[in-house]
Amino acid sequence: MTAIKAAIANLKGGVGKSTTTVMLADGLAYFYGLTVLVIDLDAQANSSQMLLTERGVQQASDQGKGTHHLLKQFMDGRATTAGPFIMPNAVSLEELRLAEEQDERKGWISALPSHPQLRLHELTLEEEWYSRSGTPTTLSDALATYFGGSFSMLDSLYDVILFDCPPHLSPLARAGLSLADVFVMPTIADAVSTWGTKQFSDWVGKFIAPDLPKRNFVLVTRFRDTRYSRQVLTELKEIYLKDRWFGPTIPESVHVLNAMDRAAPDSYNTFRGKYGGVKGDVRRLAERFSDFLSHRTGTTWQKIRD
Amino acid sequence: MAEDQGLTAVEYLDRFFDELRDEVRSNPRLAARLVKAMGGSVVFEAETSVEIANPYLLAASGSKSRFYTVFSQMKPNQLKRVLKENNLATSIDLAGKSPSQLVDMLYDRASSKVSERKSSIF
Repeated sequence: MTAIKAAIANLKGGVGKSTTTVMLADGLAYFYGLTVLVIDLDAQANSSQMLLTERGVQQASDQGKGTHHLLKQFMDGRATTAGPFIMPNAVSLEELRLAEEQDERKGWISALPSHPQLRLHELTLEEEWYSRSGTPTTLSDALATYFGGSFSMLDSLYDVILFDCPPHLSPLARAGLSLADVFVMPTIADAVSTWGTKQFSDWVGKFIAPDLPKRNFVLVTRFRDTRYSRQVLTELKEIYLKDRWFGPTIPESVHVLNAMDRAAPDSYNTFRGKYGGVKGDVRRLAERFSDFLSHRTGTTWQKIRD
Repeated sequence: MAEDQGLTAVEYLDRFFDELRDEVRSNPRLAARLVKAMGGSVVFEAETSVEIANPYLLAASGSKSRFYTVFSQMKPNQLKRVLKENNLATSIDLAGKSPSQLVDMLYDRASSKVSERKSSIF
């Protein structure tokens, strides 16, 4: 097994990167029985919060788990593998928890969580690096090499690794992007998000992935069914990003907000209970992503649930 | 709504498609969307073409002459509506403009928006 690595990324903030990350993790684990690792590279730690709760994020940090602790290893010049920094239990779905309990390893989610401390470590690292005549690019390259090495043992343990990237291009964010096989780009059907997505698409195409169109999965999120939104959606699909693979359009919905608010670290919900009115959207997201990978990378997965 | 026990599955479908046909006849925007979704291309009559014309899509197609052919048929009020509905002009911008100036404005601004928003990585 070699894990598919997907960066969930966009320079525009508020387009649903963390929500998409969690929906994709849940959808792939639940419908395809895949083993998923979520790596949170965003110091806002939103996907970590959604998977583990606020208390869980702090507990993880206190136990030495998280990307900020891994980054500290790099800063201290210590080679390591990512395994000890991962929270193995980030599942919030009862069906997956039961399967694991019965030793049916059909779908499991782990997290390499983030913490607001990550940004402080990054700033310290950047100041030190640049004071020694390093550049953002050399730092990004060094981080990519280090993180690539520390993640290499994960390839055989996971089917999918999702990088939740921050809405900026810090050296760490760039390192995460450079490790990705495919790029999931959430956006919103409005003018500012469209422009932000174009900027990000151009940057990634120029500096990270010249073959971006083949590796790009676009997802329109927080969709409000108005004439204006429908028009922008049409333009995105037919003009601005016309050669990309589009996922289902995810509606702006209170169900999405509720689904992302986990009650407690030991609280579980059924898939139907968690996603309510958007459960079909999560299923379609997993299916379309699977279709995308099948067409673009030859990776095929079998569904275990309908 | 009372359930009609007497209908077969095919009759239910007939009803559904009858409703869809009626809507498509009276709603050219929906008709255009459905045809596009099915991957088809339909040439609409001139009057309908004006009603469903999308300045961004036409500007992106690269054919300036086709753009001018479609929008030059419009009356000033229709042009102003298209400009405003597509966020390409405000009432202040439109004041005192001749029809040809309105079409020029529509083309210039739609083309500009398309080039600003279209990913250069294709």
